[in-house]
Amino acid sequence: MPPSTRLLLRCQRHARPQYTTLVTVGKRGYAVASTRPEIYDVVCVGGGPAGLSLLSALRSSPITSNLRIALIEGQDLQRSRLHDASPSSYSNRCSSLTPASAAFLKDVGAWQHIDSSRIQPYHEMQVWDGVSGARISFDWDSASALPFSSPKQNAASPASSTIAYMTENLNLTSALLARLDELGGVSVYDKTRVEDIQLGEETDNLDLRSWPLITLSSGKTLAARLLVGADGANSPVRTFAGIDSRGWDYERHGVVATVQLDGHGWGGDAVKTAYQRFLPTGPVALLPLPGAFSTLVWSTLPQHAAHLKTLSPPDFTAMVNAAFRLSPTDLAYMHTLPSGQASELAWREPHTPFDPQHISQRITDVQPNSTASFPLKMRHAATYTGERVALLGDAAHTIHPLAGQGLNQGQGDAAALAATISTAVAAGMDIGSTLALESYNAERYQANNLLLGVVDKLHKLYSVGSGPVVWGRSWGLRAVDGVGVLKGFFMRRAAGVR
Amino acid sequence: MAAPTTSIRLTRTALPTASRALARPFPPALRAYHSYEHDPTPPYPPTETAILSDALTHLPTHGFTHESLRLGARDAGYLDVSTQLFPKGAFELVRYHLVRERLDLKERVQFPDNGGKSLGMGSKIRTLVLERLRANEPVVHRLQEALALMSLASNIPPSIAELARLSDEMWFLAGDTSVDTSWYTKRASLSSVYAATEVFMTQDKSAGFAETEQFLDRRLADLRTIGGAVGSVSQWVGYTGWSAINVLRSKGMRM
Repeated sequence: MPPSTRLLLRCQRHARPQYTTLVTVGKRGYAVASTRPEIYDVVCVGGGPAGLSLLSALRSSPITSNLRIALIEGQDLQRSRLHDASPSSYSNRCSSLTPASAAFLKDVGAWQHIDSSRIQPYHEMQVWDGVSGARISFDWDSASALPFSSPKQNAASPASSTIAYMTENLNLTSALLARLDELGGVSVYDKTRVEDIQLGEETDNLDLRSWPLITLSSGKTLAARLLVGADGANSPVRTFAGIDSRGWDYERHGVVATVQLDGHGWGGDAVKTAYQRFLPTGPVALLPLPGAFSTLVWSTLPQHAAHLKTLSPPDFTAMVNAAFRLSPTDLAYMHTLPSGQASELAWREPHTPFDPQHISQRITDVQPNSTASFPLKMRHAATYTGERVALLGDAAHTIHPLAGQGLNQGQGDAAALAATISTAVAAGMDIGSTLALESYNAERYQANNLLLGVVDKLHKLYSVGSGPVVWGRSWGLRAVDGVGVLKGFFMRRAAGVR
Repeated sequence: MAAPTTSIRLTRTALPTASRALARPFPPALRAYHSYEHDPTPPYPPTETAILSDALTHLPTHGFTHESLRLGARDAGYLDVSTQLFPKGAFELVRYHLVRERLDLKERVQFPDNGGKSLGMGSKIRTLVLERLRANEPVVHRLQEALALMSLASNIPPSIAELARLSDEMWFLAGDTSVDTSWYTKRASLSSVYAATEVFMTQDKSAGFAETEQFLDRRLADLRTIGGAVGSVSQWVGYTGWSAINVLRSKGMRM
């Protein structure tokens, strides 16, 4: 929306008289009045995991299932469904779902639709410092409960030994869409862009002055009691609401790829492990998928990312193996080679000491056309709610992927917003009023802000290549590794269990 | 006896001018800013200018000394005693050299205005600093004398003021139009870089002062690093401040 329009919108809001009148003088010839908008209780812009989870939660709850709901998505929703379910090909866009997110998906009934053969729970994490080699391993057996916690609280920690579930984003959206199909009752406008969002007008029998009117590329106009922005980092809904989003770009790119390992992991299929090594250029992580597959997330300098994408599959494979084994100096040199990384690794590796059992099995191949990269940034909206507007997922916050928390934050938002709407409906409130939405912002803002801050500080802490900072962080990592109580505390926080 | 007659004749011609100059030792304070509306006031009155500019020709042999000043006065056709016009003595010669080279800079370096790809601010500053240092070349073997004079306690304030004017001139010529606090930080950081590079230059024996050039590049790179760090710190402080306010707002506080 051009700034002038925005200004006009805000002026309109402020100029709104403080009284309501149903008497109109004269005949108004507004374009809006001629094409009557379709009125919905909830209009969700964006059909990603966060938006779909919210709608599933609203539809599956008996309290909110009578709301009129519309979903607007720019892409064809068929593309958000899993089509190729062969066990030899995995999408490169994967996420780790914490037990808390999984529990929420079970509650809304989407978990049963997920293709469980394509989901990989993992039970252990190996995280180490690429400069000093300091290491921490996360698994529920070595983590102890807080000393003063009651047995009941101990029982609250996950009964299974699962740390998180790796899933393709497609598998998740596919399950959520299947659940929505099953529940029905959502007007879906896919392959439809949002052309414009404006505040409505007052007509003879309808006062829509505080209601956002969404004009679609199909020409239809929807009026929303509550407009939900789940429309990603460049959210048009956030722009309409005039909510600032602050943060910075990391000047790093995340390289993703689906890779194939030498075997099914050191623990076989029963105990899977996720590996993450912090290099000064950014962390490189290898997360297990079913069988011998793994997904790679490597955040690195943009020029390195661009170079990695140009490498031949054997050289790319060698670079990934090198990233988990060689020293940062060797790696920096290998980034300067136009090709031939495979033979370079072959002679450098025997001269680098490492414990193969603590590192993922060797990568043997990369799935064709699965290498991609995207810029990393951090953003946080000033607030998640406005008059008849709520922001959700990436529209509200963008996080560095090093802790794999982006999707889980969105799931947490969806759960909290669904609960807020449910409370408002049960109490007979207008679900779009700022008063009704207040508790959503109160519940999620600080939690998300904390997580964004911690992840940002981890990124900054580990981008230092030498000196006292390295000694300090290595000492801290070893200390947490040695003290089971501390480790348990961090693991419960990461898993979303309090 | 040729010499006395010469000196008598000189006395006669020099005295009126000199007394006028003494009544008005220096022009009123120079404008502390750049103006496109006014012609710049010349920094010295004509007599002083004549003596000092002639003295400069003796710099390579006699250095920044009273001797150069005396010879300059003679060359300009004045008595040896006219060097009393300069109470600070040899330091006035140093200052004249600095002022002249500073004002000369705008003649020596001109950046094309409309060239399709205009130079970045960094490379403009680099060019200006190098050009100003090149102006030291004829006297570089005497430059340490100048630095020694400038470091005398009573000469430090005017030397620093002149350094500040030089760095202001460079930013002005580079086309800097900042009107925020960076106006001060830019000038302060360029002053420190210039001063350090000039000291380095007095020791540089490499051909064409190549090492001075490299030294300058390293200092400018340091500045960029520091500038980047300061930028990200202030960005972080801003973000953290706002997020604290936003968290309080989310908890229902009105602010």
